[in-house]
Amino acid sequence: MSGFEPRIVAFLCRWCASAGADLAGTNRLAYPPNAIPIRVNCSGRVEPQWVVEALKAGADGVLIGGCHPGDCHYVAGNYKARRRVYLLRKVLAELGIEPERVRLEWVSATEGARFAQVMSDFVAELKRLGPLHGNGGPK
Amino acid sequence: MKLAVYWTGSCGGCDVAFLELGPALLDLLPKLEIVFWPALVDAKRADLEKLPKHGIDVALVNGVLRTTENVEMAELLREKSRWLGAFGACAHLGGVPALANPGEGIAEVVFGPGFRPAPPLGEAPEDAPPELLPEALPLEEVVPVDFVVPGCPPPAGLIARFFAVALAEEIQPGQVFAAEKALCEECPRTREERRLARLVRPHEALADPTKCLLDQGMVCLGPVTRGGCAAACPKAGMPCTGCLGPTPKAGDPALAMLSALASLVRAGEEGEPAFPEEDRILEGLVDPLGTLYKYAFAKYGRPLRRLARRRQEVRA
Amino acid sequence: MPETRPRLGVFVCHCGKNIAGTVDVAKVAEIASRFPGVVYATHHEYMCSDPGQALLKRAIKEHRLTGVVVAACSPTMHEETFRRAAEEAGLNPYLLEIANIREQVSWVHSGPAATEKAVRVVRAIAEKVRGNRPLRPAEVGVTRRALVVGGGIAGIQAALDIANAGFEVILVERSPSIGGHMAQLSETFPTLDCSQCILTPKMVEVARHPRIRILAYSEVEEVSGFVGNYRVRIRKKPTYVDPAKCNLCGECAKVCPVRVPNEFDRGLSLRAAIYIPFPQAVPSTYTLDARNCLGLLPLCCGKCAEVCEAKAIDFDMHEEILEEEVGAIVLATGYELYPKEAMAEYGYGTVPDVIDGLEFERLLSASGPTRGEIRRPSDGKIPKEVVFIQCSGSRDPEHHKPYCSKICCMYTAKHALLYRHAVPDGQAYVFYIDIRAGGKDYEEFVNRAMAEERILYIRGKVAKVFREGEKVVVWGVDTLTGRRVEVRADLVVLAQAMVPSPGTEELARKLRVACGGEGFLKEAHPKLRPLEALTAGVFLAGAAQGPKDIPESVAQASGAAAKVVALLSQPKLAHAPEVAEVAEELCSGCGICAPQCPYGAIAVDEVARVNEVLCEGCGTCVAACPSGALTFRNVEDEQVLRMVRAALAEVEGVGV
Repeated sequence: MSGFEPRIVAFLCRWCASAGADLAGTNRLAYPPNAIPIRVNCSGRVEPQWVVEALKAGADGVLIGGCHPGDCHYVAGNYKARRRVYLLRKVLAELGIEPERVRLEWVSATEGARFAQVMSDFVAELKRLGPLHGNGGPK
Repeated sequence: MKLAVYWTGSCGGCDVAFLELGPALLDLLPKLEIVFWPALVDAKRADLEKLPKHGIDVALVNGVLRTTENVEMAELLREKSRWLGAFGACAHLGGVPALANPGEGIAEVVFGPGFRPAPPLGEAPEDAPPELLPEALPLEEVVPVDFVVPGCPPPAGLIARFFAVALAEEIQPGQVFAAEKALCEECPRTREERRLARLVRPHEALADPTKCLLDQGMVCLGPVTRGGCAAACPKAGMPCTGCLGPTPKAGDPALAMLSALASLVRAGEEGEPAFPEEDRILEGLVDPLGTLYKYAFAKYGRPLRRLARRRQEVRA
Repeated sequence: MPETRPRLGVFVCHCGKNIAGTVDVAKVAEIASRFPGVVYATHHEYMCSDPGQALLKRAIKEHRLTGVVVAACSPTMHEETFRRAAEEAGLNPYLLEIANIREQVSWVHSGPAATEKAVRVVRAIAEKVRGNRPLRPAEVGVTRRALVVGGGIAGIQAALDIANAGFEVILVERSPSIGGHMAQLSETFPTLDCSQCILTPKMVEVARHPRIRILAYSEVEEVSGFVGNYRVRIRKKPTYVDPAKCNLCGECAKVCPVRVPNEFDRGLSLRAAIYIPFPQAVPSTYTLDARNCLGLLPLCCGKCAEVCEAKAIDFDMHEEILEEEVGAIVLATGYELYPKEAMAEYGYGTVPDVIDGLEFERLLSASGPTRGEIRRPSDGKIPKEVVFIQCSGSRDPEHHKPYCSKICCMYTAKHALLYRHAVPDGQAYVFYIDIRAGGKDYEEFVNRAMAEERILYIRGKVAKVFREGEKVVVWGVDTLTGRRVEVRADLVVLAQAMVPSPGTEELARKLRVACGGEGFLKEAHPKLRPLEALTAGVFLAGAAQGPKDIPESVAQASGAAAKVVALLSQPKLAHAPEVAEVAEELCSGCGICAPQCPYGAIAVDEVARVNEVLCEGCGTCVAACPSGALTFRNVEDEQVLRMVRAALAEVEGVGV
C-alpha cells in the first residue's frame, strides 16, 4: 500500500506530552504531520469513546500522550488512562481491530525529541498495519 | 386502541411478558382492539397487508431483525401504524441474538460452508426459508422507531406505564419507557469501597446479600443502565446485564462501563510497580464483548465490527 | 451549548515568517471562513502585537463575535494575552481558544502537508469554541484564621509566622505542653547550642502572642469544609487543673502517692499522676493524668486538691468539644522513633542498657533524670565503653524501614562527642553504613568528632547485641577490613529510624490528605509543591512529611506559613471555572466518581456533587462516569467528538 498516509488523532496531556510537542517545535525537530493534536488537561480525561469515535471517523490510529508514572500533574490520571487503554485494546482485538492502533505513550515536557520519535514510530507502525478504512483511508 | 404485536427474531419471552401485568390485564383488554398478534390470535401477513395505512394505532415489535422477512414485516408494520415501538432489548438494541454478528456469515458458522437455504423436499421454491441478513439489526436500523419499551423482557411496571401513556394518547416521539437515571438509583445494595481488587464472574463468588455487587468485583452494568426494573437482578444477587439499555447520556454503554471499571481497578498503591497486578485484575474481565455489550452490540459495537470486517476483506 | 447561533471569528497569525514561512496562512483563513459558524476570518502579521490585538478587539465588536479562534503559537505563550483582549472587547474570555499552528505545525512540518494540518487543527478548535459556554471564575470567601496541628518546633514556627503576619492561629497539641521532641534534646548539632535555651523563648512567645490560642492536651476530631472554609471539631481533654489558678508550687505532685514512668524522660524517671512535663512547659500548668490518678472517680484520694492553696484542682472538669472555623490548616505532627522493641537483632528492647537516641538525649540533658551525668539505666554506673549503632531500623527494606532517617548520622556524632566531653576516659564506637553529613557545617562537625574526640568509627552493620553479665556484647563486622568485631560495651545507643508520630494516618484520613507508603504525609508534588498537601488549603511542615532536622523543619514551617498567609490574605478565593460538574437529573449516585478524585472534591449522597473550588480540573472522574451525568465545562464529550470528526474530515483546496 504505497503512498498510504495514516491519519492519527493525538490526545495530548497539556502538562507533559503537549508541552513535549511544543518543545519539539521550539527545537525544530521535524516529524511526520499525520497526527492532529487535541490538547486535554490530563490523559485521565480521555474517554474510550473518544478513541473509538476517532477510529470510526476515519483515523487509522489514536495516540494518547500522558505523563510518566509518578509524574502526573493530578497524581494518578495517567494510571487510569493506562488501565482504560489496556481494556480498550482488549475489546478492539476481540472485534478484529489491531490493538496497536491505539497507543499510550509517556512523554514528559522535556522530551521534545522523544515526542518526535514517538510520532515517527507510530506513523511507521500504522503504515505497516495498513489503512483501517478499507478504501485505502482518507488522504 | 388498535394494537398490533409482532415478533421478529425473538425468543417469545416478550410476548409472555404481557401476562406479568396480572389482574390489571382484565381492565386493560377491553380498551384494546387486537388487530394483529401472531402469538395470540391467528392472523397472516395477508391480513396485515389488507389493513389500510394507519389501520393500527400502536404496533409493538419484539425481536432482532435477522432475516429478509423480518425486514419486510417491519416495513409493513411501519406503513400500517401511527406509532411503531421497539418492545424489548432485541428490537431496541439488537439484544442477545445480535452477539452473533460475527466476522463471517452466521450460516457458514452454523451449517458449514456453502449452505444455501432451500425449500423442504417437494415444496415450491417460494416456500424456501427467508434469507439471513449478513448482520442482526435493531429495529431502528430498518424503519423509524417512535418509542421504546426496553427490557429483556420489559418489566411489568414499564409495560403498564406504556399502556397508560398510549391510551391517553400521550406518547412522546423518541420516548423510552424507563428511568432517565441509572439503576443504582433503585438498587438497595450499599456501596462502600468503590475499588476493584478483582473482577469475578457471577458464578465465581457468593455475593454478599447487602453490599454493592460491583464493589464485590462483579461486572454489574447498573451504573450505565437505565432504571425502571426496581433493580430486580441485583436484588436477587445477579449483576445487572444492561437489558434496559444505556442512560440517555452514556453513549456506548460498553465503552462507558469499560472506562468506569478500568478506573476502579486498584492493586494496592497506584504506581508503576502495580501495573502487572492491575493487568492481571483486568484480565478477569473474561469475554468483554459478551459481558459489556450483552444487549447493545448491534446498536453500538457493530460499526467497529464492520470496520474490522472491511479491513479483513482488504487484507484478504 | 449556547442557544443563539454562534458567530465565530478566526484569526491566523503569521508570526513573521515563523508560521507564514511554512503554512499558507491566507489559505488557512480562506478555508476557515467556510467552517460552520464562522462569520469572519482573517490573517495578520503578529496577532500578539498591539495592532494584532486591536484587530481582534475591533472584529469582536464589529462582527458581534460569540467565539474566537486565534491560530498562532502554543496556548502556553499567549492564551492569557488574547483572552484578556477578548474580555476588553466584551467577549467572555472562555469563548476564545488558541489553535497551536506554530510549535505543533509550522516549526515541525513543511510543504502543503503543513497547511493541511493547520487547517485541521484550526477546524477542530473552531468546533470546540462552537460548543464553549461563557464561564466565570468561582469565588468563595476566606476565614482569616489558621489551624496548626502539632506544637513541636515546626508547629511553633508556623504559628508564630502566621500570627506575626496578622492572622489568628489555633495551635493544637496532643500532649500537655508544646515543645515537641526538641524540648527533650540536650544540645543541637552542629553548633552544640542548648536545645531548650533556643526553644523556650519561642514557646514563651507563642504563649504570650495575642493572636495565638494554644489548645494543649487536645486533638483534632473531625474536619469538614474546604479551602478557606474549614470547620474543625477539636476534642479538649480535661486537665483537672485550672491553668489560670495554678501557680506551679508543685505541692500537689509531692503528695501524690502515684508514680508512673515519665514520658518526657522516655521512662528513665518517674512522675506523679499530677505533673508538669518539664518546668518550662507551655501552657504553664500542672496536668492531672486521669488514667493513673487514684482519686478521680471513686473519690478515695484527693490529696492533691487538699494541699492546693490556689484551689486550682477541679475533679469535675469535663472533656470539651470545640468547633472552630479556619481558612487554612498546617499539619506539623512530627515524628516518633521506630520502637527498639521491633529490633530482634538488638534484643527487642529487653536489654536495659540498650537505649534509643532520645533516651540518650535525656541522659545528656542537664534537666534530665541524671542531671546531665551519663549513667546507664540498669545500675546507674558511668559507662566506659559506649557503642552507637546508626541506621538502626533505617535503610533496611527487608526487616524494617527502607528509607534513610537523615538526622541519625549527625546526632550520633553529636552523642559520641558529648559523651566524650562528659566521660573523658570513655571510649565511643560508632557503627555506620555511610556517613551522610550533607548540610551547612555538618561534614566538618563529623570530622571534628572523628579526629578530635578519637571516636572509633567502624564501617559495618551490627549483627547482634546481647547481655552478658554486666556487659552488653556487640557483634559486628568491619566491612573495611573484613574482620569480625566484638565490643564488650557498658551501654549501646540505637539511632532508631524516624517514623510518623502515631495517629498521623488517622488525622490524614480526616483531612483527606494522602500518606505515602511509610505513613509520612504526602506533598502535592515532590519537587514543585513540597509544602502543600493535595487537599487545597492544607499545608505540611516538619518531620510529619518526612525525616528532617531542626533547620529544615523550621524552614519548611516558615514556607508553609508563607503559603497560609498568601492564602488568607486574598479577599476572595477565585478558582478557574473549567472544572467538572454534575447533571443531577441524570446522576444515580453510583459513586464511581468519588474515589477517582485526588482532591476529595466529589461528595456522593443521593447524587454526586462537585465542589468547584476543590476541583483542579483533571477530568478523570468525568471519563470514569458511566452514565454521562458528570461533564466537564467546555470539554464536553459532544464537543470533543465534534473536534475529532473535524480533525479527520477531508480538507479541500490545499493541494496536497
